[in-house]
Amino acid sequence: MNKTLLSFIVTVGVAVALHFGVKPMFLEGEPTMFINRYAFFLLLVFSVVGINLILRLSPVMTMKAAYIWGLGFYFYNPYQAGTILTPPIPWTLFITYMMLWTIGTFLYISQDRDTFAEFRGPIVKTVTGEYKIARYIVFALLPVMVGWGTYNFIYPSYPEPVELRTVHPAPPATTKVHGKTYALEGLQNPFRVDEQDNYYEGGTQLPVEGKFPFIDAESVEYIKYVTEGGTVFFQNCHYCHGDQLNGLGMFSHVFNPTPANFVDPGTIAMLRESFLFWRVSKGGPGLPNESTPWSSAMPPWEEHLTTEQIWKVVLFEYWYTGWHPRTFDEESSSGGEEGGGGH
Amino acid sequence: MTINKKSFKPVLGFLGMALMLILPSIVLAGVPEPIQKDKLEHGKKVYFKRCVWCHGVEGGGDGPSADRLFTRPRNFIQGTFKIRWTDSGQLPRDIDLETTIKNGLPGSAMPAWGEVLSDTDIKAVVQFVKSLVQDRDFVDEDEDMDLMDFGGHQNGANPWGSVGPYYLGIPDEAITAGKDIFIKNKCFECHGGEGRGDGNPTMKDDWGFPIVAADWQQCWNFRGSRRDAFDPFNIVRTISTGINGTPMPNFREKITPEERWKLAAFVNSLCPRKKIDPLVNKPITDFLIKSKYTKGPVVPNMDDAMWQAPESDNRLPGLERSEEYVTNGGDQYWHYIAMGGQITRGERNFKPKVDNLWVMSRWSEEENAIYYLVEFHNRFLSTDPEFPDGIAMQWPGQLEDLFGAEKPYFIYGDSKKPVDVWKANFMVKDYNPTNAPKAEGYDLDVSVQELVGLGFDAVSEKETPGGVEIVQSKFHQGRVKVMFKRSLTTENPDKTDVQIPVATYIPVSFFQWSGWDKEHDEHMAISTWVYTILEPALPASLNYMPPIMAVAFFGFQMWLVRMTKRTRQMVKDGTWK
Repeated sequence: MNKTLLSFIVTVGVAVALHFGVKPMFLEGEPTMFINRYAFFLLLVFSVVGINLILRLSPVMTMKAAYIWGLGFYFYNPYQAGTILTPPIPWTLFITYMMLWTIGTFLYISQDRDTFAEFRGPIVKTVTGEYKIARYIVFALLPVMVGWGTYNFIYPSYPEPVELRTVHPAPPATTKVHGKTYALEGLQNPFRVDEQDNYYEGGTQLPVEGKFPFIDAESVEYIKYVTEGGTVFFQNCHYCHGDQLNGLGMFSHVFNPTPANFVDPGTIAMLRESFLFWRVSKGGPGLPNESTPWSSAMPPWEEHLTTEQIWKVVLFEYWYTGWHPRTFDEESSSGGEEGGGGH
Repeated sequence: MTINKKSFKPVLGFLGMALMLILPSIVLAGVPEPIQKDKLEHGKKVYFKRCVWCHGVEGGGDGPSADRLFTRPRNFIQGTFKIRWTDSGQLPRDIDLETTIKNGLPGSAMPAWGEVLSDTDIKAVVQFVKSLVQDRDFVDEDEDMDLMDFGGHQNGANPWGSVGPYYLGIPDEAITAGKDIFIKNKCFECHGGEGRGDGNPTMKDDWGFPIVAADWQQCWNFRGSRRDAFDPFNIVRTISTGINGTPMPNFREKITPEERWKLAAFVNSLCPRKKIDPLVNKPITDFLIKSKYTKGPVVPNMDDAMWQAPESDNRLPGLERSEEYVTNGGDQYWHYIAMGGQITRGERNFKPKVDNLWVMSRWSEEENAIYYLVEFHNRFLSTDPEFPDGIAMQWPGQLEDLFGAEKPYFIYGDSKKPVDVWKANFMVKDYNPTNAPKAEGYDLDVSVQELVGLGFDAVSEKETPGGVEIVQSKFHQGRVKVMFKRSLTTENPDKTDVQIPVATYIPVSFFQWSGWDKEHDEHMAISTWVYTILEPALPASLNYMPPIMAVAFFGFQMWLVRMTKRTRQMVKDGTWK
């Protein structure tokens, strides 16, 4: 017992010293091959094992089990500054991991009859009162902890509610903009001069690379539409969708849902231009309920822009981000499974 | 060009050394860096994709977006650049412009390009921007470039060793000394008595466009904050260099570098610490306004202890609530609500003057009433009765009919789901924006309007108002404070008043109108839907359940002991099988 007590004092002392004295050094140097939090954890494990071996303490099985369980707890615990396992895991996952870790610890304890008896010994002795002081401490402490746990459990807390929404809802079959009805399927951008965004000069096809908005707007038709679309964008859209089209405009943080990030491969890159035409024309109020139309600050742009301006601004968004819209595939058209859902 | 530079350098260097002896506030004198012409072609490509939309084809700050921005995009033609390490009126170093492009100018439409453009792109576009300067010449022999002395502390360091992201632990003596320097140098003439930028409504920049002084209590909007809003170095730099093109002079001769740091300590201490969203460089909105349960009636006085709370976020390390505050019964929190222009329907507002609101709430079971204290910064309020200032709370008009997350449309509702709007219109009594700072503040002349919204173009006044009151209001050194009160339930004959339940998440949002800028109707600032909840009193079970559980567990322990002992006895006796 004395050796076990000594082992407990020494081990906890070493662990505390490492945690407060050495860990900050390791966290500072991150991320390098050897100076990182995982390396620190290995150091901690080796120190705990090493100090017990060197001093030939050989604590009782119960104490060994406590060390093992404690190290696992220290590794997974997401509620400390400078967690070992990063990023910190959610508490449900933490509970699951700790259950597995506890099972592992039990496997270690119950290798055979003797180790299990050794593990059980001190516990039984505490319960029956052979370890008098230990019994007083444990029997006084546990009810207090139960009371404290109960208090925390029934103390009411009101977290911020979480709301889910569908980002790309299924588009309608047709949409009516400025009095004209459009069928979205197969609808093309009238200002997309060329599928591959090339342009033609004297009958030859040339890449648009090296042509600038404004400067070359006169000479290259495609650049002209891009310039006009960009002008509309930077008079109306950048407040939310941002100067970089990444959804981080001046007002973007105000609104929830946050404005779409066009640079992200999950937005306009996987949508058809006709889908954008519908979304831009009808805005937030045109969304179905699963997309929370009541919070969307996206204006129904048909109130502010002409049909032509809407198409041009769509063209500009693809030019700026370098994405290419999803196109209508003639062969699989009967499937209709493309571009944000069919019918 | 290079020959010129070489032949002049020794002379200028000597002059610079001489200057350093005369003017201790300059550390390095030199000449501007000439344009690197080999980078112009690359820079042009970047400029005409990324910059031209605001800064214009010739760099005149007249791109398509310019007229709908406040403040306007920079006009490069005159070579006037705001954020530099060089002396007032001088050209910037290349690194100043590169840092500006990398970090953007928070509080304006200029985003941070550091994550979008490569370093090569940024260096190239800086050269191109320099080539757009027409009125000055980077190789002109008359152009000096004197680097300012920041008391020997370079970027990132400060005399107190205080570190980011929140730069706490700056000694109180420095802050107090800084306040005296603030008064002595009359900073309040532009920045206002408490630094909310409410000093002077008539300022113009070099191009004749209106301009306002920085609000020191919203440091995340400092143009030169370099995405490190709470760093006092930003302030020392600005005091040392001034801001070219604006009325902000430099103080390098009036204030010594050591004193500038003290002044910076004071200015820096005014800015409440909030967690800043690194993507947009703004504090993160508190999406849930917790209304505190109050025993007995609520004191309708914002100076009462009931309505006090530190502005800094107590969840941040080093900013935990003081024991004194908690033991005195302090239980309140300021909720930060971001505001933006209403740019969706009708007459849109691209230049809102109010960026955020701070909200606090209490409710009383005894009074059957709820109170909201709403505060916001606005430099100047209206003097024109035709355009009063306004602040409003918007609620779903028929909360009981909403299913799940469903809400009315966030701008005045929609035809199927009405909203209930509590609007306070106010004019300040005996006020003129050009008045000297008035420490005790001004009273407001408030009238309450209760509106029903069925869409932004279908807003009407209620026929049977629900009894919303403004129990107290104040305009104090650039900050408006308004306290709303209403009973939780009303008679509600027309089903137009929201009936407020306890312990339920209720959607609420805010509208704000700046009369000084002629905002009215849907031309306003808005927030998105956030939630509010009336926290019920702590359950009585909190008092008896923990001891019961503890005693029960103790009983279980006793039982365990008994059983273990009995088993042992049985083993001993041989009755155990």
